[in-house]
Amino acid sequence: MTSPIRRTALARLLLATALAASVGGFAGPAAAAEDTPIVVARNMDVNSLDPARGFCDTCQIYLTAVYDTLLTLGDDNKTLVPKLATSWEANDDQTAFTFHIAPNATFADGSPVTSEDVAWTLQRLKNIKGDPSFLMDSLASIETPDDKTVVIHTSEPNSEFLGILAASYTGIINKKLAEANGATAGEDAATADQADTWFFANSAGGGAYELDSYRTGDELRLKANPNYWDKKPAISEVIIKQVEDAVTQAQMLQTGDADIAMQIDPDTAATISDPEIVVDTVPSFNFLYIAVSPGAKGNSVPLTKPVREAIADAIDYEGMIDFTVGGKGKLQPVAIPNGFPGTDDLPMPKQDLDKAKSLLAEAGLSDGFTIEAHYPAVNAYGVDISLMMQKVQQDLSRVNISLNLTPTTFAVWREEVGGDGIPMTAVYYAPDYFGSAQYVQYFSMIPGQPWAKRAGVGKVEDLGNGEKEAELLKKAMASSGDAMVGAYHDIALQMIDDKVIIPLVSPDLVLASRKGIEGVRYSACCNLALGQLSRD
Amino acid sequence: MTRTLIRRILMMPFLVLGIVTVAFMLSQITRGDPLAALIGERQMGNPTIVAAAKAKWGLDRSLPERYAIYLGNLVQGDMGTSFRTRQPVASDLSRRLPATLELVVAAVLIGGVTGVFLGVLAAKYRDTIVDTVVRLLALTGSSVPMFWLGLLVLFIFSVRLGILPGPGRLDTRTAAPEFVTGFFTIDSLLAGQFAKFREALAHLVLPASVLGWTVTGIVARLVRASMIDVMSQDFVLAARAKGAGAWRVLLNHGLRNALIPTLTILGFTFAYLITGAVLTETIFSWPGIGSYAVDAARSLDYPAIIGVTIVGGFAFLIANLLTDIAYAIVDPRVRTGGA
Repeated sequence: MTSPIRRTALARLLLATALAASVGGFAGPAAAAEDTPIVVARNMDVNSLDPARGFCDTCQIYLTAVYDTLLTLGDDNKTLVPKLATSWEANDDQTAFTFHIAPNATFADGSPVTSEDVAWTLQRLKNIKGDPSFLMDSLASIETPDDKTVVIHTSEPNSEFLGILAASYTGIINKKLAEANGATAGEDAATADQADTWFFANSAGGGAYELDSYRTGDELRLKANPNYWDKKPAISEVIIKQVEDAVTQAQMLQTGDADIAMQIDPDTAATISDPEIVVDTVPSFNFLYIAVSPGAKGNSVPLTKPVREAIADAIDYEGMIDFTVGGKGKLQPVAIPNGFPGTDDLPMPKQDLDKAKSLLAEAGLSDGFTIEAHYPAVNAYGVDISLMMQKVQQDLSRVNISLNLTPTTFAVWREEVGGDGIPMTAVYYAPDYFGSAQYVQYFSMIPGQPWAKRAGVGKVEDLGNGEKEAELLKKAMASSGDAMVGAYHDIALQMIDDKVIIPLVSPDLVLASRKGIEGVRYSACCNLALGQLSRD
Repeated sequence: MTRTLIRRILMMPFLVLGIVTVAFMLSQITRGDPLAALIGERQMGNPTIVAAAKAKWGLDRSLPERYAIYLGNLVQGDMGTSFRTRQPVASDLSRRLPATLELVVAAVLIGGVTGVFLGVLAAKYRDTIVDTVVRLLALTGSSVPMFWLGLLVLFIFSVRLGILPGPGRLDTRTAAPEFVTGFFTIDSLLAGQFAKFREALAHLVLPASVLGWTVTGIVARLVRASMIDVMSQDFVLAARAKGAGAWRVLLNHGLRNALIPTLTILGFTFAYLITGAVLTETIFSWPGIGSYAVDAARSLDYPAIIGVTIVGGFAFLIANLLTDIAYAIVDPRVRTGGA
C-alpha cells in the first residue's frame, strides 16, 4: 500500500514536472549578479580539511583562506610579512621566537585570537603525527606570558622556523571550538583526537573565509567571514569545483563556468584563443627529478659516483623541457627550487655525451648496462612522467645504457621504494613553505634522511656527501641573512655532487583566468590566496 | 516463476557475503602499500607516524581479525572509513550512487530506445542504405573512445554553440537541491525549484547521450540480428499468411521475440555502467561511483574498494532479478514455466 507521505511526494513531483515543463526550455547559466561567486576549477586532492592533517595543494589554498597564520609571504614570495603576528623577534642562536598577536584579531565566531590558541594549535600539529607534523619537529616548548604574546622554543637552532610559520598548515585554530568537537593537542593526539570528520563539515579559523560545505569529489564552497578582523574579502563566495581533466578545465573557462584554472598544461593553454581569458605563465617552485639508488637490490652493476655522473651527463636537459612542457619550463641545478635560499649562481645542468662515455669507459662499462626504472605513472604539474622517462631512456641509450621502464601506481611505487629500493625512479616535489632546509632534510645524503636511506647510505660505501651536508645544514640553521644563504649554497653544491637526485625540469605554472578577475597569484606558501581575489 | 524469484531473493545475502569475502581477500593480496593513501611520501620513513597511522586505521591487526571486524561492522551498516576521503564509505556511496544512477538511467533509456528503434529500422530495411547507416552508427557507438567523444560534444555543444551546459550536475555556481533522493532532477522538483530542475535536466543531456550511444550501438546490432533471425521463423511466415501487415508482423512478432536477448543485455549494461561509467564521469565532472572506484583502486583504499564492489555486485544481482521479471512479462513461456 502506498503511504500518504509517498503519495504526497509523488503528487508534488508530478505537479512540479508539469509546471517545470510549462515554464520554458533549458536555461543557460544564471545571469551574472553583482557579487557572482568565483569558481576555481581544479583536480582536488584533499585528504583532510583539518590544518594538522591536510597535506595537498588544494589544502594549502583552503587553509590559507580559512585559517590565518602568524606570518605570511609577501608578493615577492620571499619576504615574511605580518598576519596574526604584528611583530616578532628571534634570539641570536635561532632557538627562541617571540610573537605579538594583533590586538583586534578574532576568529569567525567573534572570539579573540589568544596566545593560548596559538600554543594549542602548534602543539596539536606536532602531536597529531599527521603529514604536516614534520614542520613542528624542532618544537620544544611554548610560553604564553600574556594573552597576546607567544614565545616558542625550538630544541635546536632553526633559522627557518619563521618561514615554517607562514606555511598554511600552521594556521591558528579556535581552540575552544575545536576542543568542543573532539580535537585535542595532548601527547596522545595521534589517537585521541577525533575531530577529522568534524573538520570536513565545519571550520574553526579566523581567516577571510569560512567553510560553507564540502562534497568529496565534487565541490568545496567557502563563504566570506563576516567578522573578518583584517581586510575583508571582495568576493562573498568562492567555489572550488572538482574537474580532473585539463582540457575540461580550459573549456569551463571559455564557457564562463569557471573563473580560474591553475592546472592547465602548456599544450592545452596554447589552444586557448578566447580574448576573454587571460593566460599567464609563471615560473613555479615545483620540479620533477630522477633518483639513482646505488643501494637498491635490483642493480645490475654498481652505481658508483662516475656511473651516476655519466647518467647525469647523458641527459639532454634543454630537450627535456621542450619534450615534456613544450619549452614552458626551467632548468633546475639542484633539488631545491630556483629562487630559494642558496640557489643563485649554481652551475646549470647540461648534456655532455663525450664525458659520459669516457666516465663509463673508465668504469669498465663502455659496452653499456641495463638499469631498471620504476616510477608512478601520473601526470604531475602538466608533465606526464611516463613520457618524461621515455625521453630519459632515449638519452641514456646514446651512451649504451639501456633503461627498462616500468610504470606503476603510487601505492606499489611506495612499497618498492621503501622496501628493496628502485635502481632508478622519477617523482616530483612542491614546497610546503619558503625555505631550503625542507629540501636538504629530504633529498640530501645526510644519514637518516628519506632519500639517503632509499639511495643506500649506510649500506653502500662512499655514497654522497652526507657528513659535509650535515655540518653545513647545522651552520645554516644557526645563522641568518647572508651567512645562512651562503651555507645553503654550499649544501646545494654538495647535493649536486652527490649525483643521486637529478632534477630534470621545473615546469612553469599556467595561471588562467577570466578577464576581470584580479589577484590571481601563485604563492610559495599558500598556492593561491583566495582572500586577495576580486572582480573588476 | 514466483518460486524461482523468491529463491533468488533468498540467495542474495549469501551471494553478497561471497562478494564481500572475495573482494576483501583480493584487496589484501594486491601489491602495494595502503599507507600510500594515509600518509604522505615524506613521512613514509618516519616510524612514529607510520605506527600511528597503522594503529589508527587497524592495519596493525592480522588479516582474520580485520575480516571479522569488517564483517561485524558491515552487518550494522558500517562499511568502514575511506583511507582517501576520510569519510564513512557508506556516506560516500550514498552521495555518489544517486549521481551515477541518475546518469545511467538516462543513458540506458536514451540508448535502449534509440537502439531498439534503429535495430528495427535496420532489420526492416535490411541491406539498404538505411541498414548501412544504422550499422555504421552502431559500430561507431561501440568503438569511438568515450573520452574523445565526451570532449568533442562538450566543445561543440557547450563551448562553440553554447546551447547545452558544460560539465557537472548543475551550473557551477548553483547550490545542490536539498537531499531527498540524491537525483537532482527529482529533488529540485520536490523542492519546487523549477529553474534548478531544468538546469539538472540540461546537464544530463550530453553525458547521458555520450554514455547512451554505447548502449545504442550494442542494442541496435543485437535487435537487428535477433529480428532478422526471428523474421525467418515459420510462425512469422504463418502470421504473414494470415494477412497480418508488415509493421504488425515486425513489431508484434519480430520485436517482441527479439526483445528477450535485448533485455538481458540492457540489464547487464545497466549494472556494468553503475561502476563502469568512469570516463564519462571524469570528462563531465560527474561525482559518481565510477570515478570513486578508480580513485580508490589507484590508492589502494581498501574500505572504498570493497564498498564499491558490494554496490557493483548488488547491482548485478538486482539487474539479474529484474531481467528475469521482465522475461516473464515479455515471454509467456517463462511465466508459465513452459519450454
